[in-house]
Amino acid sequence: MERLLAIWIEELSVEASDGSTLRTIISLIDALQIICPFTEVIRLGLFVLPIRGPSRFYGGDEGVLNAVAQCVREVSGFTPSLGVGEGLFCAEVAAKQQLVLALGASEIFRSSLPLEYLERKDLATTCHRLGIHTIGAFAGLEAARVGERFNKHALLLHAVARGQLTELPGQRDVKLGQRLREERGEGPALDEQTGFFGQRGASDQRAEAAAHRVRRRLGVDAVLSASLQGGRSPEDRATLMPWGSPETRSTPDAPWPGVIGAPSPATTFSEPVGVQLRNCDDESVAVLSRGLLNADPSSLVFSSAARRQIVWFAGPWPVLERWWQTGRKRAHLQVLLEGGEALLLSAEKNRWWLVGIYD
Amino acid sequence: MFAFSEKRPEIPSDVRAKLQPVTLARNKLIALSSPWSDMVPRGGLRRGTTVVVNARPGTGGLSLALSLLSGPSANGHWSGVIGVDDPGVVAAHELGLDLRRVLFIPRPRGAWVETAGDLMDGVDLLLVRPPSKASHGAARKIMDRVRERGTVLIALCDANATWPLPADVSFDITQSQWKASSKLEARHLTLRVSGRGEVQRSGEHVVLLPNSHGQAEAS
Repeated sequence: MERLLAIWIEELSVEASDGSTLRTIISLIDALQIICPFTEVIRLGLFVLPIRGPSRFYGGDEGVLNAVAQCVREVSGFTPSLGVGEGLFCAEVAAKQQLVLALGASEIFRSSLPLEYLERKDLATTCHRLGIHTIGAFAGLEAARVGERFNKHALLLHAVARGQLTELPGQRDVKLGQRLREERGEGPALDEQTGFFGQRGASDQRAEAAAHRVRRRLGVDAVLSASLQGGRSPEDRATLMPWGSPETRSTPDAPWPGVIGAPSPATTFSEPVGVQLRNCDDESVAVLSRGLLNADPSSLVFSSAARRQIVWFAGPWPVLERWWQTGRKRAHLQVLLEGGEALLLSAEKNRWWLVGIYD
Repeated sequence: MFAFSEKRPEIPSDVRAKLQPVTLARNKLIALSSPWSDMVPRGGLRRGTTVVVNARPGTGGLSLALSLLSGPSANGHWSGVIGVDDPGVVAAHELGLDLRRVLFIPRPRGAWVETAGDLMDGVDLLLVRPPSKASHGAARKIMDRVRERGTVLIALCDANATWPLPADVSFDITQSQWKASSKLEARHLTLRVSGRGEVQRSGEHVVLLPNSHGQAEAS
C-alpha cells in the first residue's frame, strides 16, 4: 500500500453558499501540486498526496509536513490537520488525529481502531453485541460469515478492514473532479468527433448506428476505435479502446528520442507472444547489460516448438526508459525469417517476446 | 404497361435536358490513393464491388488491404475492419488511414458474416479477414449484400484459403522481398492484379509497401 499524506481542512468540508469553497480548493490544489504533482482532492476538505517522493526531496517526512502546512496557511488561511498513513482509509484517520504513522505501522493502527471508523452503525452495533470491538477483530472474521449476516457493502468494509481495499466505499467524491473542471471553465470533455462547423454528418450517424448494432450482437467491447499516444515502440503508441469511450487528450507527435520509426508492423499484438531466440549452437541469446547480444541469433523457437531460421537481424535497440528502476530494461530486435517474414521482437525480463509482424 | 401505352405523355424537351440519373456515376466511385488508383479504372472502386487480396501470411496482405482503405479514409469515408486480431494501429496511421473513422472488430467470435451485415449500412468500405476458408454460401451472402448496399468489400484471404467466388478485382501477392540496411527499410511487393473488366492494366506490378515512411509507393 502506498504511503499517503492526507490533508484535512475542516473549514472546507462543508460547501459555502457563495461558491468560495470550490475556488479555494482550486487555488489550494494548484499550490500543492507544486510540492507534489500527484496531489489530488478526494472530497471537500480532504487532499491526498503520495509522500515517498517529496519526503526524499525535503529530507524526511517532517520537511514535507512543514512545507504543506505552510503552503495551506498561505493560500487559504486555514490550519490543516495532517497525517500520514498507508492507504487512503488510514491516511484520513491519521490526519484527523494528526498522526504520522511510520512505514509498516498502519496495519497495527488500523487493527486497533474501534469499529465506528468504518462508518456503518448497524455493523458496529451488531459486532459490539458479539464482542467484536475493533477493526482488527472484525477483519479476523471469515468473509463468508460476514456475507451471511450483512450485505455486499459490509463485505467491502470487511475488505478495507483486512487491508485488501485501501479506501472506504463513498470516501471519494467521484463528481468533485468534474465540478472543479467546470469551475475552472474547462467544460466537459468532448467525447465525440464533430465535423465541419461542429455538426456531425449523416455518414457519422450511420456509422454510429452500425457500431451500436454490432455491439448489441457481440458485446460492448467488441467494437474498438484506435488512437495514437506518445511512446517509443509500436505496442506503446497504439491504443485500442472500446468504441464510444471518452477520447484521451494526447500529443502523439511530441518527440520521443529513440522511437522505433517507420515502417511499423501491421500486426501488433495486444498481448505479446513468448518466443525463444537461439544461436547456431542452440543456446539462448540474451541482451547483455551494455545493450549488445551475447551471440548472433540463428533460429526462433515458438512455444509450439515450431522452429524458424533467421536470415537477418537488426538491433538490439535498447529502450532507455525509467533507468532508475533497474527492473525495467527493454530492447527491440528486428528479424527476417527464411520464408521472408519480418518480425519485431522485444526482450524484457530476460525473455523474448514477439511484438509484431510486418504483415 | 404504362411504358408501352400509346397515351404516355411526352416529356417536354427542356425538362428532359435537365433530367439526371438519381445517382451520378462519380458518386458511385470511391477513389483510391496512389499507387492503387493507377491499377483500377477511373482511379477508384465502384460501390458494390468486391476486392480480394490473396497473400501468404506475413507477406504483406494486411498492409495491402489497409493501404487500400487509406485513400477513402482520408477523404472522409468510414471503414470497418473485421477479423484482424491485432491490428497495427501505428502502421495503419503511417499508411494514411484516418483512425477516427475506422471501426475495428478484431474478434467477431464466429459471427463474421452477421457482423459484416450489421456494419454494411454504416460504413463505405469493409475489410474482412475470414477466420478460415469462407464457405460458398457465406461469400455469396456477403457479396449480394454488398452489391445491394453499395459498400466496397475487401476480403483478405490466405493464399491457401482463397475467396470461393470470383471477385471484381483481385490482388495476388506473388513475391515479397525486404530491403534492409541497419534496419528494415522497405519491402518490394510483386503483385498480380486481375478482375472482371474492372482492371485497367492487369498484370504484374511492383510496389514498395511499406516504404521507409511506412506508406505505399509505386516502384
